[in-house]
Amino acid sequence: MLTLLPTLAAASFLVFLFIHLIPGDPAAILLGDAATPEAAAALSKELGLDEPLLKQYALWLGNVAQGDLGTSIFFQQPVLSVIGDGAETSILLAVMTMFWIIAFGVPVGVISAIRRGSWIDQISSGGAMLFASVPTFWLGLYLIHIFSVGLGWFPSSGFPSISDDGGLANLRYLLLPSLTLAAPNAALIIRLVRASMLDVSREDYVRTARAKGLHPARVAVRHVFRNALIAVAAAFGFTFAALVSEAVVTETVFSLPGIGRLVVQSILRRDYPVIQGVVLVVVVLYMAVNLLVDLAYASLDPRVSLN
Amino acid sequence: MTLLGSIGSAVFGRWLATTGLIWLALVAISAVAAPLIAPFDPLEINPIERLSEPAPPYLFGTDHFGRDTFSRAVYGARMASIIGCGSVLVALFAGGLCGMLSAYFPQLGHVLMRVVDVLMAFPALLLALVLMTLLERSVINTVIVIGIVYAATTARILYGMTLKLKGEVFVDAAICTGAGHSSVLLRHIFPNLISPLLVQASFVFAFSQLQAAALDFLGLGLPPEVPSWGNMLAEERIYITRAPWLLIFPGALIILTVFSLNLVGDAIRDAIDPRFRGDIAGV
Repeated sequence: MLTLLPTLAAASFLVFLFIHLIPGDPAAILLGDAATPEAAAALSKELGLDEPLLKQYALWLGNVAQGDLGTSIFFQQPVLSVIGDGAETSILLAVMTMFWIIAFGVPVGVISAIRRGSWIDQISSGGAMLFASVPTFWLGLYLIHIFSVGLGWFPSSGFPSISDDGGLANLRYLLLPSLTLAAPNAALIIRLVRASMLDVSREDYVRTARAKGLHPARVAVRHVFRNALIAVAAAFGFTFAALVSEAVVTETVFSLPGIGRLVVQSILRRDYPVIQGVVLVVVVLYMAVNLLVDLAYASLDPRVSLN
Repeated sequence: MTLLGSIGSAVFGRWLATTGLIWLALVAISAVAAPLIAPFDPLEINPIERLSEPAPPYLFGTDHFGRDTFSRAVYGARMASIIGCGSVLVALFAGGLCGMLSAYFPQLGHVLMRVVDVLMAFPALLLALVLMTLLERSVINTVIVIGIVYAATTARILYGMTLKLKGEVFVDAAICTGAGHSSVLLRHIFPNLISPLLVQASFVFAFSQLQAAALDFLGLGLPPEVPSWGNMLAEERIYITRAPWLLIFPGALIILTVFSLNLVGDAIRDAIDPRFRGDIAGV
């Protein structure tokens, strides 16, 4: 677990370097078009841009630790509050997506494994592979085309905060985006659940359970499924990364005011402080998720030791 | 059975995987012979014929500039092949070498694998986006960026496998008979890594297609004038209601190609690892 800290340090150093890798004076880049020589000089002094690189990094890290991720060029607001504005949409989208992934992916994977080789298995395994091959934005565009434009069942874009008028009913804005985002990831989970169920079912203790005459359903649930979940839990770090990547695309397709669209727009607007801030937040979150997954893994499987 | 033989029989033994392989061959032929197959210049603008429905002479219809969608799709196969092969080359060469050497020389591995860890701390598309921010939109930069993203995964897989192989008796035997490092790596370890590398190649190729399309869609991939399937979708998305064929054809081409790559990759993996035999769409 201690290897995590150097990795985090190196990753954050890369994120810090990002501004320096863009051609031009970092102070002018951070200020954007509004940069006057005086303002650039002042910011340069504030951030210690004339100091050695490592000292600058230490200064930057100190600011980050206090929640200061710089100022957005476009919004003229602290980066952290700009990211905070997108957090509600992105978190709700992630929660709904996870719901679909677990609600569809796990049962279908289990049935597929139990009925291995049957037509149900062929369809669900083939379907899972097909969905894993569909570009997210293409699926999103067609869902909008069919269900929003054609049938008019769901709104096609945007997301008013649930604290606004409408309350929880506003979640309907996230239905199509979360299904879009869930499709390729549920496909992965189906394949993973199925593969790890089949793996576990070859274990000696499963044969023992069958041999002592337990009902097949009980063996499938208590012995196979529970142990197969360990491998599935381990993959959730990977799912998180996939969700972040695809959320960038999905939020753009559905014009959702989340962090994913923020990063794309910031790239197009050359709002570098926001890009840097979002990347840092995502990397820290991703590493935290991986750490939690490792901890969960160790507590689920006593054979795994954290050392 | 030889390795090639068992892979061949695994792929051709399943009609789905065989169909996938035939599709990939078609894509490759279109890529190579694009100027011969495409009836029109993919960049030729013809405003009179804009947004015409699929009918001869425009098999897939025309886009909002009146460009022939079929010709653009054929040239898109060329772009897909360049992006796929290029990313596979970068990912497998850089990642494979890094993984192999790291496992074989543990001290080097301490450093190299930490670099891999750091790269893997960034979700794939986010890393690609940030790298594309620093670079210009071009074919070569897209290839390099996608290659780097998947080099890290490749390195990690190859690291684990080389580490395992290093402990095998035949490697000890080779060392005992006086084989040098390069001989052990190239003649004893590397041949055992060819099939996992093939599997990895097919998956990197598949992922590169989806990543490149996503980058194109976000306006951060290939330059907009390049006829790629991703750019076709990105440019024509606003015509989804008026001219649905503009999104159906390129979308279907991406899906078919990625699906075929996954099928073939799965078939090869099953040939190598008998545990998976009969799994996943093994019809």
